[in-house]
Parts: sequence; structure tokens; C-alpha cells
Amino acid sequence: MPAIKATELVKTYGGRGGSVDAVQGVDLEVAAGEVFGFLGPNGAGKSTTVRMLTTLLSITSGRAEVAGRDVAADPEGVRRRIGVALQEAGLDPRQTGRELLVLQGRLFDLTAEAAAERASELLALVELEEAADRPIKGYSGGMRRRLDLASALVHEPEVLFLDEPTTGLDPASRITVWSEVRRINERGTTVFLTTQYLEEADQLCDRIAIIDGGRIVRAGTPEELKAELGRRLGLGREATLDDVFMDATGRARTQVAGEVHEVSA
Amino acid sequence: MTHALVLARRALREGIRTPEAILPTLFIPLFFLVVNVGQAAKIFPGSSTAFLHGQGYGAFQLPNSMLLAASFGSAALFLVEDIEGGYFDKLRATPVSRSALVLGRLLAEGVKTLLLAALIVAVSLAFGIRVASGVGGFVLLILLTALWGVVYAGFMQVIALKTRSAAATNSAGLIFFPLLFLTPNFVPRRLLTRPMEIAATVNPVTYVMEAMRSLILQDIVWSSVLYGYAVVAAAGALMLLVSVRVIRNYD
Repeated sequence: MPAIKATELVKTYGGRGGSVDAVQGVDLEVAAGEVFGFLGPNGAGKSTTVRMLTTLLSITSGRAEVAGRDVAADPEGVRRRIGVALQEAGLDPRQTGRELLVLQGRLFDLTAEAAAERASELLALVELEEAADRPIKGYSGGMRRRLDLASALVHEPEVLFLDEPTTGLDPASRITVWSEVRRINERGTTVFLTTQYLEEADQLCDRIAIIDGGRIVRAGTPEELKAELGRRLGLGREATLDDVFMDATGRARTQVAGEVHEVSA
Repeated sequence: MTHALVLARRALREGIRTPEAILPTLFIPLFFLVVNVGQAAKIFPGSSTAFLHGQGYGAFQLPNSMLLAASFGSAALFLVEDIEGGYFDKLRATPVSRSALVLGRLLAEGVKTLLLAALIVAVSLAFGIRVASGVGGFVLLILLTALWGVVYAGFMQVIALKTRSAAATNSAGLIFFPLLFLTPNFVPRRLLTRPMEIAATVNPVTYVMEAMRSLILQDIVWSSVLYGYAVVAAAGALMLLVSVRVIRNYD
């Protein structure tokens, strides 16, 4: 049974100025235990897809199953089985890191004692023990990301959704998050990761899909996609994921001093 | 209900850590009490004004201040902060029932308003105001205030969920504000001008205010008290219905 299966997933936003098709018939299948990378330019439909799969956004049409539960018919069943760390590390700045994790545990029906114990384990896992009892408003961006990741793991989810987990982080913090993702995946958790860093996808993901204009335009393992492009274009060198991205979306991505810029081809 | 209680504890902790949001809700109603009494107490001397039942004008004004305090709840603005900061989505991604997400903050608001109401009455006692209905009446008085606070905060939360903006929530809250003043807040209803009397009669807040006032000025007058509680119950049921509907359709 796949961990995630989406069929003809569509999201249309209605408004006074007309409707916008943010996601236009996405088909996805992610195997249990995989790290799946979901790439695309800004506004391509990555976050909208994640929000539909995590029950945060209603589905206009199509069907999605996550951890064996239908997203529309059994959203609570899905929520019990997934962990979610969204693009903006959504944390309550007035709570301490420990309080936030205990609260999260209690919301997943852990007893007060079990939630406290789990919070301590996770704080150790993401190396936030020293800052555990300080208000989150004093945490750095990297610390917030790690705490957000920890909060998504409180209930040992079957599927973990990470929406751009390293955006805005310095290289050292990024590498820490990567090693956490690998460690989580080694324990058997399926990881669905959106990212704008192609290097990140290359490093972490077993398979990737590229979305553009609300449609999946490429899908496969990074090696398959690179080899296919090399063959098709007859490149005199090994294709990179950047080449694949540019070929798929018509946009090049360059990285200058850690910032990612998109350039129309 | 466990989830709602867990979320209520978090909201209370948030309130304790933000005293700057609570203190004005105590001082502004007391300020209005002092100003209103200062302006009108000579017109209505306790010794010769029948509707004061032997107390000073401050006792008549006290319910206004308590209702004002109950209507200053910050639940909706904290909710907007959660929405804007992304934490609300984090909560929505948990298996917590959608109604618990609404109820958590409302329970906390009830506790906060209960304490605030008790504190305002305690301060008033120091200025010679008595709760004529005794300890039982005092309990009914602060409970009614707290329940009104919950209902008001609930409607404000609905606005917060619909607009997702602090500025819009603040502005929309002003729509409800006249309800507090289209009441017999300076004199009993029968002494109001005819248009004001009609406005006060159709305004549900009037019945809450009159119930509170009867508990302060007289012994427990059950007809009046039950009217007040019935109005709060009806408004509360409507508020819960709308809240659950809004949060279930929240995208």
C-alpha cells in the first residue's frame, strides 16, 4: 500500500477576479519508507498540494489517500498518522520549547507523563535541551525549524510532511536538518519533502516530482531524470538536477550567496 | 473535552505572560465607573432615588463596568496571531476536534473574565458598593459576567476566523460596541426616552445588565436573573453554532 496516493487532485480558488487553478490534476504515488521530493518554482502548486494532503485545505476534485486513509472522508484518521512542518515554522512564541512539545503530545492523546517524557526525548534529538525552558520568541531561525520538526514527530507519524524545511537557514543548520530527516526516515517514516534547493533533493530524496503550473511535469529518481535528460539532449556531460529543473519548467535556478534566483530560460 | 481543556490551559498561560493585554481590561472599566459616578451621582442621591434601593449610584453603574470588562476579551486577537504566525495550522493538523479549537480559548476567556469580574466587585466593595443578594448572588453575578464574556469573545473569534486580520477584527468588534450603550446604563429602562427604551428593549444586553443590576441592588429576583441567563444561553448557542460552522469550513 502506498503511503501517499493522489489521483487527479485539483484545487481551484474562487474570487471576485475569477477563479485560479492552483493545482490541475496532480497524480502522485509515494511508497512507504521513501523520501519523496516535491520540487517546483514559486507558485507552482507545491504548498497547495501539501496543504490538501495534510487536510488543511479542501480538495476541489480528485482523490487523495495518506497512510491508507481518505483525506476528504477521514481527515481525522489522516491527522493521527501524519506529522506536519509547514513552510513558516508555525510556533507559539510565548510558550517554551518544552511546553510546545508537551502540548502537541497532549493533543495526540498522550498522557501528561508520556507527553513530558516524549518532549524530553525529542528535545535531545534536535539538540535543544539547553533552550528547552526558554520562550520560543528568543529562538534563532534554525532552532525554530528544529523545534517545528520535533513537534511534527511527537506521535511518531507514519508520514512526515516537510514544506521547505530549510528555506532561510544557514548551511550548517541546513545540514543538521538533513541529518535529522535521514535519521527519521531510517526509522521507517515516509517523508514528503518540498524544497527549492535542488542539492537538497539530490542529497535526500529517493524519488522526486517536479510541479509547474499546477501539473506534474517530471517524476522519477534523480538518477533516472538526469540520465533521461542526458540521453535526450545529447549533453556532452552528466546532466544535473538543475538541468532537469530547467528543462522541465523552462526556468534556470542559480544560487548566489545562498539565495536561490529563478531566471526565465 | 480533554483537548479543549489542554488548549484552555495554553490560552491561560498566554494571558498570564501578556499582562499588558489584561491590565487595561481591569483599569478602563474602573475608570468608566469612577467617571460615570462622578458625573451623575449628585443627580441620583442614594437617599432619595428609589431605583437605587438605598445604595449609591456606583452600585447602579457597576454592571456597566463589569460588562465592559467582559467585552474586552483578547481571545480573538490572540487567535489572529496564531493564524498569522502559522501556529493555528499546526493545531489544525492535529486530530483535535474542530470545536475544541474554538472552545479552548473560550474556556480560558471564561476563567479570565470570572477572575476579572470578582476583582472589579472586590474593588467596588472598598468604595462602599454592596452586593445586596449576598454570597449566592455574588456567585450568580460573576458567573453571568463570565458567560457573557465567553459569548462576546466567541463572536469576536468568528470574525477573526473569517477575516484572519487583527485590524479587521478590531474594527469589526466596534460594530458590537454600541450594544453595550443601547441599554439602560444610566437610568432604569422605564425612565428612558421612548426611542431609547425601544432600542434597549430589543437589545439582548439589556436583560443581562438588568439581571446583574438586580443582584447588586436587591435580593435575588429570580425572574430577572433567569431572563439574563436565558439571553446569554441563547446567544451562546447561536455563537457556538456559527463558530463550529465557520471552523469546519476554514481552509
